[in-house]
Amino acid sequence: MYALNYVKAKSLREATAFIARNPEAKLLAGGMTLIPTLKQRLARPTHVVDIANLPELRGIAAKGGKLVIGAGTRHHEVATSAAVRKAIPALSGLAAEIGDPQVRNRGTIGGSLANNDPAADYPAAVLGLAATVVTTQRSIAADDFFQGLFATALEEGEVIVRVEFPLPKRAAYSKFHHPASGYAMAGVFIAQTAGGVRVAVTGAGPGVFRWTAAEAALAKSFSSAALEGLPLDASGLNNDIHADREYRANLVRVMAKRALAKLSGRK
Amino acid sequence: MAKVTIKVNGKNYTKAVEDRMLLVDLLRDELKLTGTHVGCDTSQCGCCTVHIDGRAVKSCSMLAAQANGASIVTIEGMAKKGKLHPIQRAFSECHGLQCGFCTPGMIMATAGLLKDNPNPTDEQIYKGLEGNLCRCTGYINIVKAVKMSAKLLRGKKH
Amino acid sequence: MSAKAHDHHDPVGRVEDARLVTGAGTFAADWNVPGQLHGYFVRSDRAHAEIVAVNVEEALKHPGVKAVVTGADAVHAGYVKPMHALNFPGKGGMQTRAPERPVLAHTGVHFVGEAVALVVAESAEAAQDAAERVEVRYRDLPAVVSPEEALAQGAPQLHENVPNNLALEVEVGDAAAVEAAFARAAHVTRLKVEVTRVAPNPMEPRAYIAAYDARADSYTLHVCCQGITTLRRHLSVYTGVPEEKLHFEVGDVGGGFGQRTPAYPEHGALMLAARQTGRPVRWVSTRAEGIACDTHGRANVIEGALALDREGRFTAMRLDWVNDMGAYLSPGSMGHIRNTSTCMTGVYRIPALYATYRVALTNTNPVSSYRGAGRPDIAYTVERLVSQAAVDLEMDAAELRRRNLIPREAFPYKTPTGSTYENADLPGLLEKALKLADWKGYAKRRAQTERSGKLRGIGIATVIENTGAGQAPKDEIELELDAGGTVTVYTVSKSQGHSHETTLAMIVAGALELPLERVRVRQCALEKQNLIGGHTGGSRTTVGAGSVCHLAAKKLIEHGRPAAALELGVEPSQVEYAKGVYRSKESKRAVKLGDIARAKPVSVIAEGKFGSTFPNGCHIAEVEIDPGTGAAVIASYCAVDDIGTVVNHTVVEGQLHGGVAQGAGQILGEKVVYDRDSGQLLTGSFMDYYMPRAGLLPAIRGAEHPTPSAVSPLGVKGVGESGCTGSLPAVANAVMDALAPLGIGHLDMPLTPARVWHAIHAARKGND
Repeated sequence: MYALNYVKAKSLREATAFIARNPEAKLLAGGMTLIPTLKQRLARPTHVVDIANLPELRGIAAKGGKLVIGAGTRHHEVATSAAVRKAIPALSGLAAEIGDPQVRNRGTIGGSLANNDPAADYPAAVLGLAATVVTTQRSIAADDFFQGLFATALEEGEVIVRVEFPLPKRAAYSKFHHPASGYAMAGVFIAQTAGGVRVAVTGAGPGVFRWTAAEAALAKSFSSAALEGLPLDASGLNNDIHADREYRANLVRVMAKRALAKLSGRK
Repeated sequence: MAKVTIKVNGKNYTKAVEDRMLLVDLLRDELKLTGTHVGCDTSQCGCCTVHIDGRAVKSCSMLAAQANGASIVTIEGMAKKGKLHPIQRAFSECHGLQCGFCTPGMIMATAGLLKDNPNPTDEQIYKGLEGNLCRCTGYINIVKAVKMSAKLLRGKKH
Repeated sequence: MSAKAHDHHDPVGRVEDARLVTGAGTFAADWNVPGQLHGYFVRSDRAHAEIVAVNVEEALKHPGVKAVVTGADAVHAGYVKPMHALNFPGKGGMQTRAPERPVLAHTGVHFVGEAVALVVAESAEAAQDAAERVEVRYRDLPAVVSPEEALAQGAPQLHENVPNNLALEVEVGDAAAVEAAFARAAHVTRLKVEVTRVAPNPMEPRAYIAAYDARADSYTLHVCCQGITTLRRHLSVYTGVPEEKLHFEVGDVGGGFGQRTPAYPEHGALMLAARQTGRPVRWVSTRAEGIACDTHGRANVIEGALALDREGRFTAMRLDWVNDMGAYLSPGSMGHIRNTSTCMTGVYRIPALYATYRVALTNTNPVSSYRGAGRPDIAYTVERLVSQAAVDLEMDAAELRRRNLIPREAFPYKTPTGSTYENADLPGLLEKALKLADWKGYAKRRAQTERSGKLRGIGIATVIENTGAGQAPKDEIELELDAGGTVTVYTVSKSQGHSHETTLAMIVAGALELPLERVRVRQCALEKQNLIGGHTGGSRTTVGAGSVCHLAAKKLIEHGRPAAALELGVEPSQVEYAKGVYRSKESKRAVKLGDIARAKPVSVIAEGKFGSTFPNGCHIAEVEIDPGTGAAVIASYCAVDDIGTVVNHTVVEGQLHGGVAQGAGQILGEKVVYDRDSGQLLTGSFMDYYMPRAGLLPAIRGAEHPTPSAVSPLGVKGVGESGCTGSLPAVANAVMDALAPLGIGHLDMPLTPARVWHAIHAARKGND
């Protein structure tokens, strides 16, 4: 990678102050995205600011009808947390399928969301559960947070502190793994939330999106039959050597059905 | 330059390295612990797997500086006083290695898997080794080695 | 042949394991030499272009940079013409047209990743940083990446001396006889198949250190390779440096599969750099470089036709090949023609054969040997034709094969392409496999799978391949005995996971009747590089070098007999040798083997030249397909193999596992993909190039069905490549069998979820 300077932040305030002064600096949490990016010389930050293990970013707690997960929480911790498993088992299941065991020991939920890879898993959960992304500056609703390919609502220097998940009645996630990379070729998160049914799709398009036709159909009849023949606009979906649009659209339908089947306890 | 103080296989080291030095390069080039290998560029092959503060990680995907203050175990730290770790024994007895290049990472990943799950099913073993590639063995004997390791470790008193 | 050589139990664990499981192996990137510099290659970012200028001025100014070597240096040194191995008589007397290839591109680049310059600096980081300051000006040219398109009229021309990008055209067999048979045939099955281009991807990326000794005008290269003799010959031809001036240091090698056999341009470029700077130059490849520039495998397109009579007997076969060799002819590239024609008939009696080969050059990475080197390709082609014929005739796939297998009494069997298969019991092999796989009980398993909403298929492949032999005039093995009774075995072959340190030691220890610990194997030792012998590849080491190990051990015993007789005070004819000791009935004394080396170490060299062996096998795979996603999973895999006598069962089993996994990986997901228009590599990392992971192959039920081989004193048949020769067709046939009831015909590999789903989807839509 290009030469750079490593700085370890002693507090979140120190980190935000540093990146405000050094706009070409990047935050480093788990590093599972940033380090490979740097190794490929696809980025050239002046500094990397290490915020992993900052106490302000750690912690998992269920309180006040919400599950709150610190941005610096590793995927492995979410996957094995008794609190998460009790509150939103679909979320611990999702975390258990991110990457591989070594990646899960390092990667963080904050890093994943800030990066917003179109094939990452967490965006589907955050959007599907209508979670709130709490940053150093404000709270951002999931519907406003994800803004397309590697793009989020985060302003310059704004840092994710924690994610607050309202507890759903039921939720499930089903993912078809990309055969080479292991990312989601299509991942569908379905939740019955206080505000109604939500269906979030990752991996298939340029960014996570809500399949609103499915939400409407499931609101009327919460069954896999309701998904038959539903419109899904394939034209906006990804198209590459591994999977064309039509196939991805099919995967979305199939993963949605399988998520539903998990919800009702059927495989 | 970064000053990195780490404990590796029970021994303390302090090294001054470029900030951009990867942990795997610190281990291999500075500490001459060449048992940890580099097999790819995209953090997928797992040949570089070591343990940091008790968790299996890919040392190619960390800056050495990130490991400052941490305790690391590499493949060289698995055998104790010349006696092979049960996992090392199992890999040899089950012919779970041929060329040996992926083996250190595979053994470290296995140690991590069995720490979290001392009695894994086949499916859990496949999942536990998702971060490790092998081109020689076809994995069948590796899975056998993991199962034998689990048995040996369950029989040991810790 | 001594049965005692094999009267043993496989040792638990291998000799190699002690250092490999503790991380104490020395792989190529583990080497460092005093005073070394570091190299970084500047590589072409486009598929086809003229090089207008290469400007290294700015790079040379970068701190730590010592030199930048370019194509001009390569041409000036004469490092321009690599060897090629396409030494076949061409059609109509055509000679192979081989393009020149300076070790660093000079006038043009012909594939993405081709090396253009080598930056040499005090550190690897400095070399990489400086490389970005090398300016290369290109004039882009249109690119062609498909071999069929490359051969067509109007295609972009890669090299002036290779018109129409056709490097060689070959024909084999009897066209007239085949045509006549086709005219008479009751049925003809036709298939066009692609055997995809794949990247061997051994887990160890390449690394070399080249050092130049100005006084001796010689080079020492630390390398990962498959043996030094072939590499040395290639490199000598490529650079003009005489073989005796090329020395090699080889440690542990992390896989090879044929990819590490040839000399590469990087070897030559590093030699130039070492000479220019006066210091050793070290280079460690990235995986991205490896996928782009380490030779690829397979890459053939075949139009095949099989003629059958009314009883379902094969009467003729015609195969028209297009072999994609990439942008240049790699020195390792003969397998596609040699190995496919040697075993073209496969295990069947097919009286009339005809094949044509058109070797094409394309704007892609050169293609060379990859585990099987043509044998899996021909096995796949024939077995797909046979299974398709069975479908066409509504006949059981095993029965059609049974009807056409070469019977036992026909061996040694001379094939219509001139090769002679030594020995096999194909009918017995087939029956054993069918029983092992419970072929008869398949319908029940399929019904069960269908109840779960999935599709199930069963695929069979009966295959034979030529192994052993090789290009070296003979194999030599040197045994050195010391006073302590330890025997060191010197060979110039090199294991890259093959366990030779154990198996060759077992052969010698077995023949000398010594405990295994008293024998140690040293491969490619620096002081023993004049031994003659082949590299490790083509499944030949145990047959060749292994047999000579046996002979050398016997020779050592004989060598020591006179000295032992002297000590025992008897005639040599009265001396008996057993378990490491010379004795005679007349004397109570004994002379230990080590005693004959008391004054100084005793050395014997034995040699041997052994021909081809013909291992054969029947593999049966079952797959389950999830119709919702198209994902296929291997539900079971059975393999019955005739590999002759077996030295170490565990090692052989491991080779089988690895080979089967590589074939399965190619069928289910691996493929190197270039963009059709730009020639850019689209599968440049493991993010896009599928690699098999744990769970792909749950288990293999295996059995042996040996028939003896008299080719070598050990009676072994080469096994290293047989796994993928069987699995490539078996897994493909299984998937096609699962899809056949939907009316789906042939699908090309890789049978990815997307491809399979589309076929199912189209078939079901068609059925509505």
